[in-house]
Order: sequence, then C-alpha cells, then structure tokens
Amino acid sequence: MNTHEYQAKEVLKKYGMPIPEFGVAQSPEEAKAIINELGLTEGVVKIQVHAGGRGKAGGVKLAKSKEEIYAYAEQLIGMKMVNNQTGPAGVVAKQVLITQPVSIKKEYYLGAIIDREHAEPIIIASPEGGMDIEEVAEKTPEKILKLPIRLSGELKSYELVRLAKFMGWSGATAKQGMKVAKALAKAFIDTDASLLEINPLVETDEGDIVAVDAKLSIDDNALFRHPELASYYDPSQVSPNEVEANKHDLAYISLEGNIGCMVNGAGLAMSTMDIIHHYGGKPANFLDVGGGANKEKVSAGFKIILSDPNVKVILVNIFGGIMNCATIAEGVIAAVNELSLQVPLVVRLEGTNVEAGKKMIEESGLKIISADSMADAAKKAVDALGGQ
Amino acid sequence: MGILVSKKTKIITQGITGNAGNFHTEQSMAYGSNFVGGVTPGKGGTTSLGLPVFDSVLEAKEAVHPDASLIFVPPPFAADAILEAEDAGIPLIICITEGIPIRDMLEVSRVMKNSKTSRLIGPNCPGIITAEECKIGIMPGYIHKKGKIGIVSKSGTLTYEAVWQTTNNGLGQTTCVGIGGDPLNGTNFIDVLELFEKDEETKGILMIGEIGGNAEEEAAEWIKEHCSKPVAAFVAGSTAPPGRRMGHAGAIVSGGQGTAQGKMEALRAAGVSVADTPAEMGDAMMKAMER
Repeated sequence: MNTHEYQAKEVLKKYGMPIPEFGVAQSPEEAKAIINELGLTEGVVKIQVHAGGRGKAGGVKLAKSKEEIYAYAEQLIGMKMVNNQTGPAGVVAKQVLITQPVSIKKEYYLGAIIDREHAEPIIIASPEGGMDIEEVAEKTPEKILKLPIRLSGELKSYELVRLAKFMGWSGATAKQGMKVAKALAKAFIDTDASLLEINPLVETDEGDIVAVDAKLSIDDNALFRHPELASYYDPSQVSPNEVEANKHDLAYISLEGNIGCMVNGAGLAMSTMDIIHHYGGKPANFLDVGGGANKEKVSAGFKIILSDPNVKVILVNIFGGIMNCATIAEGVIAAVNELSLQVPLVVRLEGTNVEAGKKMIEESGLKIISADSMADAAKKAVDALGGQ
Repeated sequence: MGILVSKKTKIITQGITGNAGNFHTEQSMAYGSNFVGGVTPGKGGTTSLGLPVFDSVLEAKEAVHPDASLIFVPPPFAADAILEAEDAGIPLIICITEGIPIRDMLEVSRVMKNSKTSRLIGPNCPGIITAEECKIGIMPGYIHKKGKIGIVSKSGTLTYEAVWQTTNNGLGQTTCVGIGGDPLNGTNFIDVLELFEKDEETKGILMIGEIGGNAEEEAAEWIKEHCSKPVAAFVAGSTAPPGRRMGHAGAIVSGGQGTAQGKMEALRAAGVSVADTPAEMGDAMMKAMER
C-alpha cells in the first residue's frame, strides 16, 4: 500500500528523523491556518498524490511570500496530475503539503528495501540525490552503497561509519547523518515497509541533514498488525474499479484495452493478457478471482469489468482446481442474467467438474461463446470485437 | 520415482481442522497420499479424517514419524508454523498459505537456508505432486498422468494448464513442484532443476516463471552449465504494466528489472525451448524432447 508524503513524514518524525515543519491543507482556509501557525514568510507547496514526478508536472511550487503560499495552495488543491506513473486517467490532489524551504548545499539519496536475491532488508545510499536512483544505479553503480539491516531494525556502528564516509560526511554532519540512517532502518522494519525512501536527503548551508521528501509503501500482507498505517489508505489515489475490487478481495488492475478478463490465479491471469496480445487484442484489465471464488465474487467481478466503458468483449478463463467449474458456470449465468449483459462473452472452462459446468452454460440458453482452450478463447475474444 | 515425494512419504497437515486444511487433506488422501496425522494446537488427542491430531509438530513427529508436513495455517501464524516444522526436523515442509508478511519470511528464509534437516516448498504455492503416487497440495489430481516430464513453476493454475497440455500430448509428468509466487520462498528453480537432473525417470523439464526477481535468469545460467536434459519454459507477464504487482506479491517489474522479455531471452540463450504463448507449453516441451 502506498502512502502520501505527509504520512511518511509523520511516521518518520516519530523515529526522530529531522524534517522541516509542515502542515497539510485540504482547503485554502486550512492553508492560511498553517501559514500562521508555522509563521511562514516563504514556503514550499506540494501536491499530495501517490505518484512521482510531481515537480516536473507543476505540482511543487516555491512561494516567496505569505500571499504566494496561499495563492499556490489555492491553485494546487484539486490539481489533476497526469504522467506515465499515473496512467492516462491521472490522479487528483485532494490536499497539499506546506513547509518551510531549506537551503540546499548538497542532495543525497537514502532508502530501504527488501533485497529479494539475498533475502534481507538493505539500506541503499548515494551521494547523488534528487535523481532517479535506478538511473544512478545503472549508470554509476560505484555511487551506490548497500548495507544490510538487521531484523531488529539495527544498523551496526561500523556500517554507519562506512555510510558516513561513503556520503562524504564528517564531524557534526556525520553524526546527524548516522542518526538519520538509524531512524530510517528502524522505521522500515517496524512499519513492515516494502519501500521507505528519502530523496532528496539534504545537507543545508548550516551543515544540518534534513529529509525534504519521503516515500513509504507498506507490505499489504502486514497491514493487519498496523491498524494506524492501514488507516492511511486513500481510495482517491486508486482507480474506482480497483477500490471496488479491493472491497471484494479481488486482485484487479485497470489496463487500456477493450477485452475484459476474468481469470482464476495470478499466473493464468497474466498469461491470459499475454495471449490476448499475441492474437492482436488488448486486455482491459487484470482480474484474478482467486482460488476460492464463489458466485458473489464472480458477480462482483463482472460488475467491475462492465463498469469500464472501454470493455467490448469479456473473456472468462478458468482452470478449476480448488474452484469447481460448476460454481463458476452458476456465477457466470447469474451475473449475465442479473446485469443483462450486452457485450459478447467468451467462456473457457477446464478442470474440476468441467463437464457439468459446460453443460450448465449450454443449457442456459444465453448467448455465450464457448472455447476449448486458451488459444481458442483468445482468438474468439479478438474475433468478437469485429474489427473494433 | 520422481522427486521429493512418493507413495511411501508419510505426511501430516498443520492446520488439519481448519476448512481448507481439512478439505485438501481429504482430497490428497483420496489421491492415495499417505497421511499419518495432523496438528492443531489445543485439539491434541482428538481425531480428524480418521487421523490422530496433535498439539504440536514435535509430538506428531515422535508419534507418527512424518517425512513431510503440509501447512494450511492463516497468514499471521504461518511463518511460525514453518519454523515449528523446521524445529521438529521435518524433512519436507510445504506451505500453501498466501499472504505471509515479508518481514516474517525474512526470518524463515534465514532459518531454512541454515537448516540441516529441512527443505521448504512455498509459501503461496499449490504444493507438490508425483503423478499417480502422492499429492500434497491443492492441485486437481486427475489432470496428472504418470510420465516423463518434471514441472517446476511459480504459479498455480498456470501450472495446471501446463500439466493438462503435457497429459494431453502424451508426455505425462514425473513430479510437479509449485515453488510459489512470493518474493521470498524456500525452494527455488535451481534446487528443483538439480533434483530433476538427477532423477532417472524425468526425461524433460518444463519450467514456468513469471515477472519479478531474477530466479529465472539464475536458472538459465544453471541450465547452461549443468543441465543435460531438454528444458522448455514459459514466462508469464510479458504484457504486464511496469510498477504494478500482478496478483502475486513477487510479480512486479520495477526499474526495468524482472521483465518477462529479459527472462525469456536469458532462457533462450541457455538453449531452452521457450513457448511464445501459454497455449504452447506442451508443444514447446515436445519440440525440446525431439531435438
């Protein structure tokens, strides 16, 4: 689960991370209150959305006066940002973060992730901050330092010394930098984060180290033990279909094509998308109804697929293992009747109790195109588009 | 024959009295698998499906000497269940549970790596089956047919698809291992490839990968160096949008890493016959066998 910058900063503050004072405004009035409360005479106004590239998109403004802060806040609240990270639909900023600007002597990168290959959490540090870290890692790998984080959330003192040297910190700055790294590592483990990054981490003209931006993603599977973090979930940052799917415990991702897909199992769902592409079509979505899907889930899945106006054909691909094909057939028939389906529907069933499932569909009298294999299903779905 | 499990394998189920644990133990028993007991804390001394239930894995181990444990424990407690089975020295631990927090798996990974007694398959996997001998998991048994292909896969239903294709074209299977779709798992492609390479009955290997991580690339390296048997493969997710987690916790392309294209190229470079579509996995295997 992704969070907003201000939420990540709230979390990091609890761990002693030095962060310039900030407030979050959902309206110009709230912005005014923050300006007064923080006594700002200049400020940075940043849209709060779950996507990077805010600066380039015009969502970050530097204001030179109280009035300007207010004006930018007014302008940016409600701003819709569209870039390659948000997809064509874009995301709307319901709120802005307002903070004191800092003088920037140098920018660094400090982040933490799980290293899958070595099965351990690591700190990633670089003296090249404010840039895309993946690009830095690719072009200048010598400017990246990786350090293991202990499962307790600790960094060993010798590792901290190594980090400070690598970043080029000394004296009081090094002390502060080490404290920042310790706080980041501890927060990463404590919050069950999958990503926690500060980019940029800034050394000010005074030699202080402060976090200017922050990004935190939490492992969805661990949210059950962090109710306070789970409450950070912001449905406005996710497509409405994904929000609805989430309610029904379905894995759904909107895509740009016109063939709606309902599949059981993530691997099969992904490869159904692949085979649709292979036959010249484009999937409208990824939808895994899961192993234990029932009639209600199938029906919810259909509703979600159909709420996408681009969908011109629906393809159901089920390999019944845990799931009984008759159950799926029952769900499909019920949903088609209930929703008085207008678009062509291709159904491919295989696996447990497949004969019963196929028979039910045949005898339903509904206009359902039956397919015998994945390839057959994909071809029939593309054909059903009729050159659209 | 086949690998890891056979008719003789004695199995217990951790979480045998839960809905899923009970249902799938019953199904696996109906396939002919040799279950000897189950574990549910607090229900020791009772029976389930005619099998003795124990309060702990250690008690089960002392009483019925299992070779394998099948885990159906809810995600918040599943990592502990794996650690308990390892602590009791169960040689083969198969965890079906999906949704274990990755922080819990970090500890499990460390313990399993250093374990002198145990191997973990999964989590978030369909289990393992040696065709017509022993099923430990949630796959539909009847699609399997005794034969000569070893299958190893990150997926569930996509594996069934591969099994079905190799049953229909007459190749059949020795053992099918689901290694799971989580970012951290106990057994990886290479571990299973090594076992298939040594298994006399296995004449060809079908490997099914998906986007995320670099296990497929590592497997490709291993195949190039060490594998004498024909290998076919499919990698799911070539059309998945970058940065999105595709259902499985581990299935994500980030920063240009973990793409299906990269994995397929690596596999092709290692001489693997790569299927262009999921409908051609059986054909790709057949082609590789004929070469």
